[in-house]
Amino acid sequence: MAAGGVLGVFAHVDTTVRAIRDLRAQGFTDFTVYSPVPVEEIEAVLEENRPVSPVRLFTLIGGLTGIITGFGLTIWSALKWGLVTGGKPVVSIPPFVIIAFELGILLGGLSTLLAILVLGKLPALRRSPTYDPRFTVDRFGIAVTCGPERAPAAGRCLSQAGAEEVRQ
Amino acid sequence: MTDSAGRQPTYADVNRDVIRTLEPPSPAYFGWMAVVALILTAGILAWTWQIYAGMGAAGKRTPQMWAMYITTFVFWIGIGHAGTLISAILYLFRARWRTSIYRGAEAMTVFAVLTAGLFPLIHAGRMWFAYWLLPYPNQRYLWPNFRSPLVWDVFAISTYLTISVVFFCVGLLPDIAAIRDASTGWRKKIYGMLSLGWEGTDRQWRHYRRAYGLFAALATPLVLSVHSVVSWDFAMALVPGWHSTLFAPFFVDGAIFSGFAMVLVLIIPMRHFWNLYAYITDKHLDAMGKLILVTSLVLSYFYLCEAFTAWYSGDHFERASLFWKATKSYAWAFWLQYFCNSLVPLVLFWRRARTHTPTLYVVSILVLIGMWFERFNIIVPGLGHDFYPYTWGIYWPTLTDTMIVIGSFAWFFILFLGFIKVMPSVSIVEVKETLPHPVKEAHH
Amino acid sequence: MKRRDFLKIVGSSAGAVAAAGCGQAPERILPYVIPPDNLIPGVASWYSSVCRECPAGCGVIARNREGRVVKLEGNPDHPVNQGALCIRGQAALQGLYNPDRLRGPMRQDASGALKPVKWEEAEKLLVERLTGLVKQGKGKRIVVMSQLESGNLGRLIESWAQALGARRPIFYEPFNYEAIHHASRLVFGRDAIPHYALEEANVILSFGADFLESWLSPVEHARAFTRMHAFKHGKAGTFIHVEPRLSLTAANADEWVRNAPGTEELLALAILKVILNEGLQAPGVDVALLRNVAMPVDLEAAAGQSGVSVETIKHIARTFAKAKPGIAVGGGVAVTSTVAVETQRAIHLLNYAAGNVGRTVRFGPDSAFVKATPHAIVGLLTQLMAQGEIDVLLLIHANPLFALPPKWGFAEALKKVPLLVSFSNQPDETTEQAHLILPDLHSLESWGDFSPREGVVGLMQPTMAPVFDSRAVGDVLLSVGRQVLGSPAGKGPFRWETFAEYLKEQWRGIAREYASSMLFDQFWEEALRRGGVWKDVATAPVQARSAPVFPIQGKPASVEGDPQGLTLLVYPSQRFYDGRGANKPWLQEAPDTMTQVTWDSWIEVPAEVAKKLGIRQGDLVKVTSPHGAIELPAYVSESLHPGAVAIPIGQGHTAYGRYAKDRGANPLTLLPGGAGLSFLSVKVTLTKTGGRRPLAIAQATHDQDDREIAQHVGLGAARELELRGAVPEKASHPSMYPDLKYPEYRWGMAVDLDACTGCQACVIACKAENNVPVVGKEQVAYGRDMHWLRLERWQEGKPEHPENLFLPMFCQHCEIAPCEPVCPVFAAYHTEEGLNAQIYNRCVGTRYCNNNCPYKVRRFNWWDYSSPASSSYAFPDPLPLQLNPDVTVRQLGVMEKCTMCVQRIVAGKDAARDEKRPVRDGEVQTACQQTCPTQAIAFGNLKDPSSRVAKLSRSPRGYHVLGELGTRPAVTYLKKVTREHGKA
Repeated sequence: MAAGGVLGVFAHVDTTVRAIRDLRAQGFTDFTVYSPVPVEEIEAVLEENRPVSPVRLFTLIGGLTGIITGFGLTIWSALKWGLVTGGKPVVSIPPFVIIAFELGILLGGLSTLLAILVLGKLPALRRSPTYDPRFTVDRFGIAVTCGPERAPAAGRCLSQAGAEEVRQ
Repeated sequence: MTDSAGRQPTYADVNRDVIRTLEPPSPAYFGWMAVVALILTAGILAWTWQIYAGMGAAGKRTPQMWAMYITTFVFWIGIGHAGTLISAILYLFRARWRTSIYRGAEAMTVFAVLTAGLFPLIHAGRMWFAYWLLPYPNQRYLWPNFRSPLVWDVFAISTYLTISVVFFCVGLLPDIAAIRDASTGWRKKIYGMLSLGWEGTDRQWRHYRRAYGLFAALATPLVLSVHSVVSWDFAMALVPGWHSTLFAPFFVDGAIFSGFAMVLVLIIPMRHFWNLYAYITDKHLDAMGKLILVTSLVLSYFYLCEAFTAWYSGDHFERASLFWKATKSYAWAFWLQYFCNSLVPLVLFWRRARTHTPTLYVVSILVLIGMWFERFNIIVPGLGHDFYPYTWGIYWPTLTDTMIVIGSFAWFFILFLGFIKVMPSVSIVEVKETLPHPVKEAHH
Repeated sequence: MKRRDFLKIVGSSAGAVAAAGCGQAPERILPYVIPPDNLIPGVASWYSSVCRECPAGCGVIARNREGRVVKLEGNPDHPVNQGALCIRGQAALQGLYNPDRLRGPMRQDASGALKPVKWEEAEKLLVERLTGLVKQGKGKRIVVMSQLESGNLGRLIESWAQALGARRPIFYEPFNYEAIHHASRLVFGRDAIPHYALEEANVILSFGADFLESWLSPVEHARAFTRMHAFKHGKAGTFIHVEPRLSLTAANADEWVRNAPGTEELLALAILKVILNEGLQAPGVDVALLRNVAMPVDLEAAAGQSGVSVETIKHIARTFAKAKPGIAVGGGVAVTSTVAVETQRAIHLLNYAAGNVGRTVRFGPDSAFVKATPHAIVGLLTQLMAQGEIDVLLLIHANPLFALPPKWGFAEALKKVPLLVSFSNQPDETTEQAHLILPDLHSLESWGDFSPREGVVGLMQPTMAPVFDSRAVGDVLLSVGRQVLGSPAGKGPFRWETFAEYLKEQWRGIAREYASSMLFDQFWEEALRRGGVWKDVATAPVQARSAPVFPIQGKPASVEGDPQGLTLLVYPSQRFYDGRGANKPWLQEAPDTMTQVTWDSWIEVPAEVAKKLGIRQGDLVKVTSPHGAIELPAYVSESLHPGAVAIPIGQGHTAYGRYAKDRGANPLTLLPGGAGLSFLSVKVTLTKTGGRRPLAIAQATHDQDDREIAQHVGLGAARELELRGAVPEKASHPSMYPDLKYPEYRWGMAVDLDACTGCQACVIACKAENNVPVVGKEQVAYGRDMHWLRLERWQEGKPEHPENLFLPMFCQHCEIAPCEPVCPVFAAYHTEEGLNAQIYNRCVGTRYCNNNCPYKVRRFNWWDYSSPASSSYAFPDPLPLQLNPDVTVRQLGVMEKCTMCVQRIVAGKDAARDEKRPVRDGEVQTACQQTCPTQAIAFGNLKDPSSRVAKLSRSPRGYHVLGELGTRPAVTYLKKVTREHGKA
């Protein structure tokens, strides 16, 4: 293993959680948790002393951009020719609100998608070495990245927590 | 969630059962595909002829400048509402029963909108210039008229389609990963690419969950706005029976109503043929039934309002229009609508009806028919008896526009049938989520 | 139309002009307004001529663009029509450019088929035959049968016949009003048709005279009628019409009296008797004579037989006699019965008694109709032909095989004629039988003159080069005559090289008569410019002849056939006249105003009868008379007299081109043969065939459903309004938005429903001006007609005796136009001159605008009418030559509608700009306004308070159609003024 590290495979949520706690206790900070489904308990442990995910920022910026574009486009293009229809003012705001709203949603959504990809480091061309196909079925995994000198400690900690198997 | 044996499926079972649906299809499946493809071809030929000969090929006339195309357009847009509604709104409300049906519903949404999207093209007298409705810099320095409800449509529907597709794909991501890991050879490669290398790491899940919530938050107002905008195609016009502030909620409710009916029409056979009783249980059907019942009652209320305001306004044109619809040439369609949309769903007051599949199925079909005719009654008879008596007239469908309308259904089903064989039509991840987590020691 | 096609046309027509240069002597063709030598592309030249669609002789000016006539307008200087044209006059262009027009001379070969020949060959053939006869002194075996030619062509024909020793030529007109001049001879000893000055009467009493449709001179009469009848300064004349059928004219009457068919004489005499009884006759009339005639009539009996109450008779008599002056006229079916002459005589006596003769009924400017040959003579000719007395029959625009009842045996007689020569330039029933066809030029291509009445001579000049290889009949007659008599050019009775020369020489005489002082060349040019010469003719005093006293009929016209049957009324068609209009698609597609039927013929069946026989609208009915039977779809009528059925003349052609083909049946089939041509002479029986042929009816319903689209106001109320004075122009609903600003102009229209007679001329004028395609029966029936302007008939009151309102409906150019904001691509928008513009090139065809148009005046191109490749191409050659180059021909899938003739507005503004001044009021006229015989339509700048349209828009009678919708139309309608005293 290039970076060096230990992978522990778990069958149960509680054992996984315990392992995470123990690792933390022993000062292991750099590890990745694999799970087939998002699990509240695991997230709860991990979210301790972590900032909130910045996804919402993407959404906000995208949405605002959309709204501004919407009003900008409609008002500017209406003024470009100033064609009167149905005796209504050239710049008639109420209908333009609709366009602004739709564009707000559109860009908001697209930038949220962008957030997933950027923050989730997707697309990833090849599987990470510690990945195991069972993680999309019913197994949980914890991959600890550490120097070879601390590997045994990590391994011990994982197996004590109740890992089915532990790999170097 | 239990299967027929009453045993609770494990995570592994879920993967197995869902991935089983992707096994090579039976000859029967191909048979259906062939039939649908045939109808679709007929529809395409009809459209080709119409483009060549002109709009006259469709039975439109003065005063019915719009007819079956816009009817079917609104119908499909309506269908396209259930999916996003189920996945977004019910997600926000944390209605756990949605998990096993939302995937199918979302697919339905996407394909319904794709179908609906064809009709503005089919309907335009010079469809080869339809792109002039899009705002793009052009040598004519012309921009669309943003005061026109049709341009609002363009924005609303394209936004809706985009967001639905994104939402849909994001939801699929972890499942595709699961299939990737379960499959081999070239399939593994393809699913591998589609999965974007999803691994289900904690950081991925973290942003994913957050983003999913935000999507739901965005999609909810969107889904409500889209059909409101579509309803304004009518409400913004002067035509008696169209010019009403009632239309936005009226249409949205109708859309949800028909959408749920379509969901039932699709998932009932699915669970039967793939033996998904373990995941799509009577509880689900019951919940859907209730929703249909509620939306039907709301719809009936709107019908009453419509009639009442027409009468109470004392407006001669409104009254004449309503009276004509209800008693003259198109009366049959008018009453068929009330029968299907207000009367039939009442059987769902009985629990047994809500869980008795055949009843539920028949009700859904009738609701779909009723909702198609609701739009028909707004458009064709509505225009047929407008302000100016000189031009009043009756619309007769031709072979061409009938074939195109039927063809649109073929188009929808060919997309859907194709989908269920290459993608998991039940969400693996979300179904698992609803199962109890595997734990070693029971908590005290 | 594609630009390439357009250029092609310009090229070809320009070529035609060049080619015509030699034969045509173009330097003699003088434009109406500008000198001839500059044919500037894009600038129209106007040539004046005479409309020959009927013998009324209206003056026309033809708009010539790049060598092709694209539009006809009435000649404003001409005393007969004063700038207006009727529906048939507007459609004359489609005779000129008719796709079925004969391309050149033809002869019948051995097999009996018609084959094209060279002109020389054709003439030679005729010459040989004629020479043979003339040499043998058998000239009497030659006959010329022509339509009424009251000008020099007629004179030439006569002298030609004389020179060849042929029989006197026959001038055949199906409607020749001979009863009138016979009656005039009997009553006043003057064999003439007087001039009826309707405009000077206070009361018009008409016995079936359809003077707004076909009678004598409809355009002139329509104008005159409006002058006396339309509400002006609180005054309005009264019009009482006696007819069994609710004709268009009857629908315009203040009192329509529905009498039993054929009882007009009876009624006239009864009225006369009342006048005498109550001593209402004018001073100085020969009372003895009148008593002599009227007293034998028994009022009660007359009332009984005519179905008109004694009260009504008395009421009419008083109204008429007290009018001072009134006028009584008789025409239509009524005066073609067995008692036709008696009826006209009674009517003359009525006028005499009321002292109208010499005032409103003027002998003096007598009508040219008197020159038309009496039907009896035509009958005689038929006998001669049957006896083999005739060897050569030359037909000049006469179509007896269609216009005579088959019972006359003309067809059989024709078989006995060895050589039938037709000069017609259209295929028709008689020409089809011809052995030799020498197609004459169309009147718009030829030199000539026509005098509709004394004191008016219209001059015709070629308004464009011939479209096809045809020759002026005059030229042919001259050259044939020369060859037959062997007289060299320049000598003998036919010394003139061309008819044009002949004409010009004859006009030297006219010059002496009309302008003795002027130099001839100057006079000639002036005449060409003005389109003829006219002068006032002194009214000749006439005195009723007391002796010999003429036996009184005093009983209804006798009709043969099943006494239980229904009296058949075969009436002249407003659109097709005697049938000569039927080959013009415009006329076929223009709805008949009363029934709104297009593209077909029908039999009008009284509702009572229909109910009894179980006949529904569109059921095919077999109509049987003693003389024949035809099948026609039924039109069920609430208003027709229960004892009658009615069929319009004009349809049922068998060989009159593609547009006239398979359009119902010819009602003349049902009429008897013999001496007279009587349109009221048989009773018929109806039987359902079981078949159906739904009629293509443009108007869904005549019931306004309380929507007050066409509004009316009582005479008294109108007077009050007049006193209360003008109202602000925009009396429409308030708007949320600030009023629009119009920098220079705001174009608008005003339509006076009190003046509109529903004649449909505007409909065709619009079609001609704006290149509106013709779509055919099926499409009209399915609500896809393309008329930019439609003439609606709304009716109120008792269905059997309705109040009729006529309303021309077109784009209202709303200030707050519902159609504009819904267009996604700005194809519909509001110009800063107040026009509701429609940009065809921008339209993608969502059709939303028409959904949202409360007036439903927008028209969509359902099919591809503009491209020659398409099966629905609306302009087969040479019709494209007529297309107005200033207006696009719209393509498939775009919306179109009335533009208020924007091309004319632009032209007007250009002209004004050149002179650095604003457009003057009345300078720009829309096509519909220009042709309106009653000037019911006004167009102009609403911003200029002194403009006619602005004044009318402020009229107290003004209103906006569906004004409550707040669309603020730029078109104001003026309510029709109805008379209080209820219908008789």
